[in-house]
Amino acid sequence: MFRIALKGILGRKARLVLTSLAVIIGTAFLAGTSVFTATLDRTFNNLFEDVFKNIDGYVRSTEVIEGEFGLQERQRIPAELVDQVNAVPGVADAVPDIQAFARIIGKDGKPLGSEGAGPPTFGSVAVEFKGALWTISEGQWPVGASEVALDEASARNGNYVVGDTVKVVAQSGSREFTLVGIASYGDVRSPGGATFALFDVPTAAEFLGKPGFVDAILVVGDGSRTDEELATDIDAIFDPALKIETLTGAEVTKETQDDIGEALSFFGILLSIFSSIALGVGSFVIYNVFSISAAQRQRENALLRAIGASRRQVTRAMLTESVVVGIFGSIMGFIGGIGLAVGLSGLLRALDIDLPQGGLVVTPGAAFNTIMVGLIVTVASAYLPARRAGKVPPLAAMRATALETAGPGRIRAYAGLASVLLGLVTIGAVTLGATNSLLGVGVLLVFAGTIILGPAIARPVALVLGRPAAKLRGVTGTMARQNAARNPKRTSRTASPVLIGVALVAAVSALAASINGQISDIFSEQFTGDYAVSSQAQGFGGLSPSLATDLGKIEGVQSATGIGTLLVKIDDKGRTLTVITPETIEGNYDIGLIDAKYSDLDKDGIFISLDYAEREELSVGSTVNVVLADTTERALTVRGLYEFNDLAGNRVVSREMFAGANVNSFDFGIYVTMSPGADSKEVRASLQAAVDDYGQGKLLSKQEYIDEQAGQINQLLGLIYGLLFLSVIIAIVGIIITLLLSVFERQREIGLLRAVGMTRSQVRTTVRWESVITSLLGAVLGIVLGLALGWVVVFSLRDQGLTSFQIPVGTTIAIMVLSFIVGVLAAVYPAWRATKVDVLEALTTS
Amino acid sequence: MIVAASTTNATKVYGKDDSAVYALNNVSVDFYSGQFTAIMGPSGSGKSTLMHCIAGLDELSSGSARIDDVDLSTLKDKALTELRREKIGFIFQSFNLVPTLTADENIRLPLLLGNEKGNEEWIQRVINTVHLNDRLTHRPSELSGGQQQRVAVARALASEPRIIFADEPTGNLDSTTGTEILRFMRKAVDELGQTIVMVTHDPVAASYADRIVFLADGKIAGEMLEPTPEKVLDRMKSLGN
Repeated sequence: MFRIALKGILGRKARLVLTSLAVIIGTAFLAGTSVFTATLDRTFNNLFEDVFKNIDGYVRSTEVIEGEFGLQERQRIPAELVDQVNAVPGVADAVPDIQAFARIIGKDGKPLGSEGAGPPTFGSVAVEFKGALWTISEGQWPVGASEVALDEASARNGNYVVGDTVKVVAQSGSREFTLVGIASYGDVRSPGGATFALFDVPTAAEFLGKPGFVDAILVVGDGSRTDEELATDIDAIFDPALKIETLTGAEVTKETQDDIGEALSFFGILLSIFSSIALGVGSFVIYNVFSISAAQRQRENALLRAIGASRRQVTRAMLTESVVVGIFGSIMGFIGGIGLAVGLSGLLRALDIDLPQGGLVVTPGAAFNTIMVGLIVTVASAYLPARRAGKVPPLAAMRATALETAGPGRIRAYAGLASVLLGLVTIGAVTLGATNSLLGVGVLLVFAGTIILGPAIARPVALVLGRPAAKLRGVTGTMARQNAARNPKRTSRTASPVLIGVALVAAVSALAASINGQISDIFSEQFTGDYAVSSQAQGFGGLSPSLATDLGKIEGVQSATGIGTLLVKIDDKGRTLTVITPETIEGNYDIGLIDAKYSDLDKDGIFISLDYAEREELSVGSTVNVVLADTTERALTVRGLYEFNDLAGNRVVSREMFAGANVNSFDFGIYVTMSPGADSKEVRASLQAAVDDYGQGKLLSKQEYIDEQAGQINQLLGLIYGLLFLSVIIAIVGIIITLLLSVFERQREIGLLRAVGMTRSQVRTTVRWESVITSLLGAVLGIVLGLALGWVVVFSLRDQGLTSFQIPVGTTIAIMVLSFIVGVLAAVYPAWRATKVDVLEALTTS
Repeated sequence: MIVAASTTNATKVYGKDDSAVYALNNVSVDFYSGQFTAIMGPSGSGKSTLMHCIAGLDELSSGSARIDDVDLSTLKDKALTELRREKIGFIFQSFNLVPTLTADENIRLPLLLGNEKGNEEWIQRVINTVHLNDRLTHRPSELSGGQQQRVAVARALASEPRIIFADEPTGNLDSTTGTEILRFMRKAVDELGQTIVMVTHDPVAASYADRIVFLADGKIAGEMLEPTPEKVLDRMKSLGN
């Protein structure tokens, strides 16, 4: 029997390839992402291995604030500690290290590196040192307040040569320097695509952070003791009250690698979610192909049964085939995945993210995983069809082939309906006050129910969707419509992958549209000025606070105010405060103060949101204790409550509160109001000039700013669409395979039609429209489900302030148009095959 | 008499040189308008091949086949398809109908494919002739074998073709139903003035024809006018069946 199965497979190589296609694509993404993340992981590990290769010790403060969204700020340490460390026996050399936000402005006035999404932009120190990270490849080390060195990639991208004047922007503002040296970092032009402006220590401290302070001290030992002994010795000289720690080179390497690993693992999880979706969608296709194949081989299987094969043997023969397909497909998929990883790396290089050499990391483990997952998914998807194949009565061998035209069972319809209804009731219960966590259960029930119900509704829905085709295309359209409806099970299985992909896209875009709408409502209400400068920086750096001050001085500007953030500890937890300038914010930005004025906010005061006040049981006059990043404490008195916490967060303080403290604070936006009667064109031009001078941020009118803020969600949307694109490809492949098998099955019918006068182009039309109807079937059901899912998600976020659900009209139309195109594209090859049917052969073979 | 279709030195060879097999060997034959002609011969005599080549379903190796003086070898696929649609009607042994279309749609299929209305009066007459009025909205799976074959006859007639080719039209039917179909075909020639060429190996079926062309080993082996089953059977025996 095993040999029969193998013969069967080899006798149908074309089918083997077709069936494997779904497995190949599904596993290729899995393999590609795992190889790619492993490669990134090792690349960064190697990078930091190199960075700290010559460092034996790392001295830093133990005090760190970890805020939301992975934000982190470590306290700085006094620069004079460097001399103390240098004096410790066993220390050969110790130098301070500073790393902070800085942007290099190009000769065209535009900052180097992409603002926002790209790799970070740093300012740092470059000093001659035994464990130096940087080596000067051209010119010399920067010395003094007016000299800078640039990393090689930045110098090249900005067309800078030694002797040029370079403008750099940092927290304290923008400043011009003379380029004296070009530095390289290990064996790369710049690490990970980041840009670096390098200064001597006093300049870096003063320009990037706070004079007299550094971030850490790098130590090289003289080899007289181990790194661990050296670290202990250094620690010993510091008063524990100073809260200083010394890490060995290995420890700091490990810590950095772990941090990066954590960030990458998030990326890896994201990718694996989408490869799971792709594989799930692929399993539908595999299931479908095996079902059709079982149906088409019904007579053959019946014959085997008639001459004495047991049910089990027939089933096992088919499972054997699925094992071969699974292994073959997964191996091909793994190879394809390596190609995918190469492509992704190429993409990074094209984006100028220069990774150190090292090649792809292809581990036997990844290969084993891919093949096992592919194999299990394939065999599991083939199990039901294989069992059904075994159940074929031997008598079927004598009958004319009755291909799976049987309608869906009643039990199936009831089960599906029950599942959908139960899901709807669950969701209904949540809207009436049941716990949110039931929403997921409800959604799952509705989805499962729809898939189960698929075969029962496929026929009527396909007939409705096919009506325009029948109207438009006459008898070819009629046949396409009937063909789409004739095997409801097959049609619904083919449409299911489309349904899943479309539902996810529709849900995500409905969510995005709702958030979008909400954001523009919020900004329209709260931003009351005329212009805004927005920062594209995310999480790291931002607009220099002095920019707002400069803009306020421009003629025709009534006031300009910056709003920023500050990381502090409250009750020992990292928290973000919103920083405003009470003197200038009036008329520019409204946070909805209740019975209070902006001027009530002094340097010892804090405004808190109504929500926060309720939650923490605070009121006007209460005290909130905050600890700044430099470990100094402030006892702040609540001066007022406000309503709008969507953007301002729950805590607002004045810029004066931390004036002079050793902390980082950037503005994320600057809001500007014109003087009455000022010429808006002139004012805009002067504002633009000032912003250009800083080389950061983007000047926008009120409406432009609102659109931009609301549009930020679209970037994320693009990523998600890109990842879902793969599921769409698999869905297309599913349609192609099904159509090919259907065409194969309907050879006689096609032969007959050709004989009585159907032209080749009419044959193509019929196949094409059947494909379009199938694709639209999945799209329509998917949109309905997806929008419902989107609504559920929006509803579940109502406590997070998302109050209005919006239907993404544009996306919905785009999905319909695209699924139409998908249908047309998927039909190209099967339709061509259909025209190649030999009329005579089709008519004469029985 | 007017010639509706003909072949001149029609030859069909499979294989090459020594292994060449002649399915048709220099066959020249005319089929007359308004006549019911049967092509008979033992299996392997080339009768089906002859029909396929005249009907534009297969190509000759040499010689020519004409429908209404149009040499089929001069036509490309599209023109040939259109010729089949407009000038030829087909009745096959089995699997004659498109399962997804109703009886009415199947009858009008050639017209619908050509985007033509056809002669409605004629179509109604055809439908009446084959007694299908109450079955028009049914799909093939809801019709008996005989009814399906009647739909096929009606389809072959619906577009008023120049000539109808029938390939063992009663081969899959019991004798009563088969007789019924043959009567309809006879009626189509007598009452509706159609031209039919039928391939068969059944002497009874052949006896419904006006004229029989015998084929053996790919060559014409004689003709018979006004056949009866007995005469046909005798002749078939002499052909070495």
